[in-house]
Amino acid sequence: MNERTPPTDAQLIELCSKLPSPDREGQIFWRLRMQMARTHLKFLLSSARLRTGLVVGLSFFFWCGLFALFYKGFDFVIRYVESPGSRYHSDTMLFVFPLFFLSLQVMLIFSSGIILYGGLYPSRETAFLMTLPVRDERLVFYRFQEALLFSSWGFFLLASPMLLAYGMVAKAPWYYFAYLLPLMASFAYIPCTIGAILCLLLIYRLPSMRRIAVGVVALAIIVVAYQSIWKTLEFSETEFLGNSWFKDTLKRFRFARGEWLPSSWLSNALIEAVRRSQNNPRDLPWLEAGKYLVVLVSNALVLHLLFVWLGKRVFRPSYWELHARRAKKPKLTLAWVDRLAGFLLKPFPVQTRLLIMKDLRLFRRDPVQWSQFLIFFGLLLLYFANVDRFRQHKSDINVLTWVNIVSFLNLAVVGLILSTFTTRFIYPLISLEGRRFWILSRLPVDRDTILWGKFLFAACGSWLPCAALVGISDVMLDVSFMVVAVHQLICLLLCLGLAGMAVGFGAMMPNFREQSPSKIAAGFGGTLNLVLSALYIMAVVLMTALPCHFFLLAGKTEMPPKLLQPQYLRFWLMLGILASMILAAIVTILPLRGGLRAFRRLEV
Amino acid sequence: MLRFDNVTRTYGTRVAVDCLNLHVNRGELFALLGHNGAGKTTTIKMLVGLLRPTSGEIHVGPFNVVEHPREVSRLIGYVPDLPFLYDKLSGREFLRFVADMYGMTDAAAVEAVAREADRFQLNDFLDQLTESYSHGMRQRTVFAAALLHEPELLVVDEPMVGLDPHSIRLVKDLLKNYAEAGKTVLMSTHTLEVAEAICDRVGVMKSGKIMFEGRVEEMRQLNPAAGQSLESLYLAMMDG
Repeated sequence: MNERTPPTDAQLIELCSKLPSPDREGQIFWRLRMQMARTHLKFLLSSARLRTGLVVGLSFFFWCGLFALFYKGFDFVIRYVESPGSRYHSDTMLFVFPLFFLSLQVMLIFSSGIILYGGLYPSRETAFLMTLPVRDERLVFYRFQEALLFSSWGFFLLASPMLLAYGMVAKAPWYYFAYLLPLMASFAYIPCTIGAILCLLLIYRLPSMRRIAVGVVALAIIVVAYQSIWKTLEFSETEFLGNSWFKDTLKRFRFARGEWLPSSWLSNALIEAVRRSQNNPRDLPWLEAGKYLVVLVSNALVLHLLFVWLGKRVFRPSYWELHARRAKKPKLTLAWVDRLAGFLLKPFPVQTRLLIMKDLRLFRRDPVQWSQFLIFFGLLLLYFANVDRFRQHKSDINVLTWVNIVSFLNLAVVGLILSTFTTRFIYPLISLEGRRFWILSRLPVDRDTILWGKFLFAACGSWLPCAALVGISDVMLDVSFMVVAVHQLICLLLCLGLAGMAVGFGAMMPNFREQSPSKIAAGFGGTLNLVLSALYIMAVVLMTALPCHFFLLAGKTEMPPKLLQPQYLRFWLMLGILASMILAAIVTILPLRGGLRAFRRLEV
Repeated sequence: MLRFDNVTRTYGTRVAVDCLNLHVNRGELFALLGHNGAGKTTTIKMLVGLLRPTSGEIHVGPFNVVEHPREVSRLIGYVPDLPFLYDKLSGREFLRFVADMYGMTDAAAVEAVAREADRFQLNDFLDQLTESYSHGMRQRTVFAAALLHEPELLVVDEPMVGLDPHSIRLVKDLLKNYAEAGKTVLMSTHTLEVAEAICDRVGVMKSGKIMFEGRVEEMRQLNPAAGQSLESLYLAMMDG
């Protein structure tokens, strides 16, 4: 490097004036995003074909299912209420649409705010970009684009089949379909921007109370929503779905039709766009719908400007404020959970017990793991606790049929949710041990004991909550003792099988290069585990649900085929249970045996 | 070139940096030394715009770091202790992104990337995705990114961690030559031998305060009984 005369202050100022313009900065970030997206796409198509194919296929399947559901629903409305353009049709749709879009609006506000927080404040990329000469508003907008995408894809997945189905059933004119995309995009942008603005303001003003503030608001919304739904359903049987019920329900949800709500603008635009002109030259539905679109777009743009302005003013001070708080260092003591687990695990050998205790501690000190567990099982609990409407007509054969089907569906749902947890949290356990394997390998512990410890941790840890949930569902549905016993047995088989597969496949296909459990679970082995788990659940539930179903209906309805006569049904039921047990043994033992063999040979 | 005036930073009630006054001149290589938690990284984070001083002011050239973060970023090249790279970019794409952000023209960016790739011997892996890089490769790529725009002030937090002996020699020579070329270097390090070998001045921090600021020779004169090496002088100062 050559020596030179040091630059003067004026020269330094001149140097800084050559930084990129806002437009150029935008182009640079756009190129960055395109390069990363291209590389990621190449990776998905070359190295993660199974996962990509599965995600695309299931999304398409889900989309088609929703389309069919909405098509039937709107067909019912148009057939039994009235056609578009009539008063009753508008009243009905202006009850359905605003409520649907208002709910999504609230969810979009929360999700975009939370995702933006995660992408902006604790992120290492943000810290890196802050050390480059990037404008604060550009940085915030760059991260917001991700939050917008991740929070609104669900909205598009739900709303697009619904609105397409509505247009097709109502035989909407062409401009209805032309309006759909701009309407949905401008609508989604509004709550996402509101969420982002609230996130910036919250961190700017109340950095230390951010979690409490979000929690309190979320709780308040859940309470209000739950109360509204409860009041709607608490009518007596004679009034339920009657005239006064409809009137009262419309009145109760009138708040969702407020003229100042973007969800109302979207709903009104759809109602206008779907109807045809009534031979009146002054009646121009396309123009009326267009006016609502203009309102949505202009509001989205104003909020965008406000957000960018706030990003420039507020982001850096809020970042500084958040990172200047003293980190909490909680004192870790022996919790009652540890003591309880220690007591329950007494029958196991000491080494196995200690390994299980270690995994339990890691689990309970990682909020990402137990909070997801809590949310999903909490939602299921809420649903199971309210599933008792079938109890009142148990003598009706149709109701009895539904009770049985719903009880087995509930069992399958518990199993499917458990399979996502075993894939996300149990499958990566061995891979994650890789970096700290030197600790375990130096201890006088047999490698088989390590794997058995993980299997027992997964099986026992999942069995308790799953058995409780299935038990609550059965109590609320008031099913017979025989069904309860069958459900509990299947639940145990599911827990053993899913734990065996997750631990076994995790040991057979470890990924020691990756540190993130979610990325390990998203690899080939994790995807395979998830697919096989789902197939196993369906097989076991079907093998017991069908014989059980026919067994319960025997004598109450006609059973035409010879082999479904009552004398054969007990045999079918026993055969189904036996087949389930054999299948459970296969999916537990085979992967575990393969896993044990691979783990013994493992060199880290 | 770099001025800390009465700078204090607190985390809640804990004082991380306490009334720091420090001037680093152009063409000087200055090392911040101190135990873990002494306040070195907080000092650097305030300088590069990741933290705001609770009180006091920091100036880089004519700019206040709080009021003109963008201009200060243009003058600084920063190598953090934990390097960040975009996993789904190649080293070349990453360097090009950084060069573009500093407002370099296409031709200048291409030339700068080639220059730094040669200097840090990145050419063998520059077109691979950075997710496949080892720690040393990542550290060298981040060094290259920090030097693309030939900053007036190079700020380096723990530069030698995870580097092989060859790379350590490379970085040592680079820092020394950079300061000799009239630029300014501020580094924080635990590697006292390196600091002793290449630095013009050192600052020893303890509990957020500067306990000593000056040349190693001045440190020896201050405590002749402690020994000759910076290591023994430093340890004596910390124990004293």
